[in-house]
Amino acid sequence: MDQDDETYILLLLSDSNLPTGSFVASSGLESFFKHGFASLFPTTEHALIDFIRQSLASYAHSALPFVADAHCVLSSAKDSESILDETIHKLLSLDQLYEASTLNHVTRRASTAQGVALLALYSKAFCTPSELLCSVPSQSPTFTSKLIDEFKLLVRREETPGHLPVCWGILTAALGLSLERAQYLHLFLHARGLLSAAVRLNDIGPYRAQQLLLHVVRPLVAAALSRCAALRTGLLEGEDSEFDVSTHGPANTWPLGELMAARHDLQYSRVFNS
Amino acid sequence: MTQSSFPIILAGSGRITVGNRGRDVALSELSSAYPLKLLSPRAVQSKVAVVYVLTYGGGLVGGDQLKLQADLEYETVLALLSQGSTKVFKTRPGHRLASVGRPSGSSATLPMPASNLTSQTFSFNIASRSTLALLMEPVTCFRSASYSQVQTFHLEDEQSSLVVIDWVTSGRKAIGEEWSFSRYYSCNEFWVGRRRIMRDVVLLEDDCEDRAGLGLPAKPLLKRMAPYGCYATVFFYGPKLTDTVAHLTKEYEAISIFKGRWPEKLLWSLSSVTPKEQTGAVLRVAAIETEMVKKWLSNALREMDKVIGADVYQRAFA
Repeated sequence: MDQDDETYILLLLSDSNLPTGSFVASSGLESFFKHGFASLFPTTEHALIDFIRQSLASYAHSALPFVADAHCVLSSAKDSESILDETIHKLLSLDQLYEASTLNHVTRRASTAQGVALLALYSKAFCTPSELLCSVPSQSPTFTSKLIDEFKLLVRREETPGHLPVCWGILTAALGLSLERAQYLHLFLHARGLLSAAVRLNDIGPYRAQQLLLHVVRPLVAAALSRCAALRTGLLEGEDSEFDVSTHGPANTWPLGELMAARHDLQYSRVFNS
Repeated sequence: MTQSSFPIILAGSGRITVGNRGRDVALSELSSAYPLKLLSPRAVQSKVAVVYVLTYGGGLVGGDQLKLQADLEYETVLALLSQGSTKVFKTRPGHRLASVGRPSGSSATLPMPASNLTSQTFSFNIASRSTLALLMEPVTCFRSASYSQVQTFHLEDEQSSLVVIDWVTSGRKAIGEEWSFSRYYSCNEFWVGRRRIMRDVVLLEDDCEDRAGLGLPAKPLLKRMAPYGCYATVFFYGPKLTDTVAHLTKEYEAISIFKGRWPEKLLWSLSSVTPKEQTGAVLRVAAIETEMVKKWLSNALREMDKVIGADVYQRAFA
């Protein structure tokens, strides 16, 4: 895939009209404001920026390892049809580990809703249409489609939850996006989702949100990425690898954010689903 | 499990085996090596085995590595308690450098050896119909301390039960320490049979995020943890904890949040994390003061006194 192709995919995936379900998620922001935490900051905007910083850092630390491993599983499997079952098996163990590591019902609910939406997006919109199949000589699209359909079926049968970071890794690898771009875009979309939630909650105006996205969020995304891009889950490491999960594995770095996210459903009235 | 007649006990390691003796439980094995100390009031106890996990000098020092393995045989109950919080020092207080002729001065300026990391690795095997209650006091990391804690729980099947409290405080508030340690890592992993049901990893690091030189303001850990001075996580699993979790669920579902101007002094959340037919839940509590968390927990978990006995329960939250 050359740079133009990659840029085009990036444009496509960053479209805020994509039906990915992220518009009903505030990742704990609504709850954070409702609990009065903005009072600890000089202005609501300071509170929002700090929330984005902490949320990005913790999400990157806990989710990027799963994006990376799912992306890697799919990219390395694409060349060979014979390992469909093995590939599915690896994806399932990643998905199950993310489920076991996500110990709050609200975050789980939001994550699986968005994960499933991404899989549907691929099979309904992004896979190569059959009339074009013969004219596209790229990787074997049938293998990727088969794999995603199979995974989607397992999600529908509730045999695996289908979490967002895992599905994002699958989708971006299927589209041929590099891991680095996939991770960057994932964090960018997380931050943009928080800003649009803030606009909907009327905590910030739409122009100011764009301004923050351009000037303030960018270094935050870059910082979270540089800290967490190399993290892995550890599931794919061999027996004799020197992988140290305590220094290179996933972790939650913001206990307060976790608490806020879990308390979302206790709000008497709420706009978002998480 | 092989049991040598001359067990070799490594520094900082300990072993506990709780055996079933009909109506009583017996500590068929209880051994530990400096700086870890395991104490039990009696070798044979009715129904619940109680073991205190202590360290010499009441704390851990840079480089200390504790390893504890505990096995609960069929239909036994083990309560692990401690006295006072687990204090993690960067270096041994009043340390000995002076005696080897080094100039006296602030220890903080001396380079630390690579083995500076203090770690605690606990591993538990909980047989069917047995219950583990890990109710130790919170961890308190002092300034610049680096601490890593890994606890693994193997439950034999869905009839095994456990309750585990894992909590951390902001440090020695009295002398101005607030979230000023350098690293705290805590991993709790729970298996039922061959299935991993929960893994909670918390990493608190006072790390300046600006590695890429992006001109971000330095962001101390203190700001991230504010306004709270103590965070606790409690894990529940198994039939013996059903009443406790049911009680908590009822209280939790009665909460209704309206727009608040200030954050409350204590907040808690409860999530059920297993399929409905099993009891598996995670409780998180944060409060301004450690004592508030302790008081709250001692009230909120009181259904547990039926599991470990009122006497042991009171000692755990004394």
